[in-house]
Amino acid sequence: MQILRQTKLEALEKARTLGPDGTIALIEKRGLEGRGGAAYPTAKKWKTCRDAPADERFVVCNADEGEPGTFKDKLIIRHNAETLVEGMLIAAYAVGAKRCFIYLRGEYDYLRPRLQEQVDDVLARAKMEGVTIEIVRGAGAYICGEATALLQSIMGFRGNAMCKPPNPTTHGLWGKPTVINNVETLACAAQAVLFDDWDSSLRLFSISGNVKNPGVYEFPLGVRMSTIIDVARPEKKLKAMSFGCFGGIMPVDENMSVTPETINMEKCQHGAYSIIFIDETNNVVDVAYSIAKFYTYESCGKCTPCREGTIRMLNLLKKVRTGKAVRKDLELMRELATHIQDTALCGLGQTCGNHILTSLQHFPKDYDAFMKKL
Amino acid sequence: MAKEKGKKDTRPLMNMLHEVQERHGYISEHMLKQISVDQDIPIARLYGVVKFYTMFHTEPQGKYVIEICGSPSCVLNNGVRLEKFLENEIGAGIGETSKDGLFSLYKTSCIGCCDEAPAMLINGEPHTKMTVERLKLILKKLRDTEAAQAGEKKK
Repeated sequence: MQILRQTKLEALEKARTLGPDGTIALIEKRGLEGRGGAAYPTAKKWKTCRDAPADERFVVCNADEGEPGTFKDKLIIRHNAETLVEGMLIAAYAVGAKRCFIYLRGEYDYLRPRLQEQVDDVLARAKMEGVTIEIVRGAGAYICGEATALLQSIMGFRGNAMCKPPNPTTHGLWGKPTVINNVETLACAAQAVLFDDWDSSLRLFSISGNVKNPGVYEFPLGVRMSTIIDVARPEKKLKAMSFGCFGGIMPVDENMSVTPETINMEKCQHGAYSIIFIDETNNVVDVAYSIAKFYTYESCGKCTPCREGTIRMLNLLKKVRTGKAVRKDLELMRELATHIQDTALCGLGQTCGNHILTSLQHFPKDYDAFMKKL
Repeated sequence: MAKEKGKKDTRPLMNMLHEVQERHGYISEHMLKQISVDQDIPIARLYGVVKFYTMFHTEPQGKYVIEICGSPSCVLNNGVRLEKFLENEIGAGIGETSKDGLFSLYKTSCIGCCDEAPAMLINGEPHTKMTVERLKLILKKLRDTEAAQAGEKKK
């Protein structure tokens, strides 16, 4: 796996000889995109932060890997944390930051003692004057994976999402320019700087659900679905796959080549390439129901459409599952999901209807199975 | 974005709250008042923060906090069965503490153990590939440890 290649502080050394601008230019040349889900060009983010006028800048590593079905960052923290920390130091060097933070989700707290050791070790060896890395402990809020909510949490507030613009890249922690990168992005940054043969098309896939071989796999973009299914080894015929909770549910097509475009064509979103496989023994409505429960639980409560709408969607799904729903309820669900997406502030609200919309579109028969017989 | 005066060089509030909870098992009103004075944060704001994060508790908790994962991968792998079993076994529902004060039961969103589903956290440590049989063994072990400790105290 490319993600496990170690850079042993040689990447940082190379970045120092290239200078901040040279480092950013190299990252741009290598074509590194954010791996948290939005695929924003990393070099562009770093440059914007560097160019924003300020007396202080910050680097934040987003280790709040909360998307259900995603566990690739855990693999990196466990098996290549040194490279991750080095990536943070390179980012700090490139944008001119001194204070860095790792926002580690509360559910991964058992990884913290070892991570802290590695942070201390790399910092001692890197000898970057005045640069510090603090681990901030999350406490179970999914929304804190969203950039603005995460910053609120680091500053000691409720993890409510904030209006953008201004973007955190120019107005982040305490109003200062702040680079927020995902764990995988930062580890990749160190590798991209050091290795000439670094491949920008490789992505980590978190595979789980009704398969015998779940786990984290590395595939290039454009990989055929049949290849993924071969390694995942489902016991029964696969019917559907859900991209985390937010990305929507779509049918499994063995001949599909997996790229953002082909996934978008089915009205789904790839995010961090977490695929939860669902086999033919399960009803997609049941999965949609567990996703809807997740959203009622995790909505931060700031915007009314998301706070109230997620509860209404769950109630409608409950109605479907108890066989009390009629056609009009499905229409209502679709309308509600679309409204929330159009009116919510942050990524959570804008995607919390995806599972409803895509499952209604792709799996009408699963809904039919529950419909009231008239 | 909201600014905080003179807070720049202090430790993150989240870490402080975690440490208080680790020491006392929960974050009491008394502790909140103390942090409020020490850190110069209005108590209402502080309470708002504590209540926002599901991992912070303002009431005493059982000695073992069990958090069952309720996300799709675990649900697809028989997670619901474990939940029902646990509720029966310890005699407390989700969000409640057992009468003997040993176990508090919670449902959590994905804990990132989807490749080893179904999974749960017991006092923050992951327990994966759970079955009813394995769960029985773990609960027995915890109860035995408790009984042994109680026995030693009596002596």
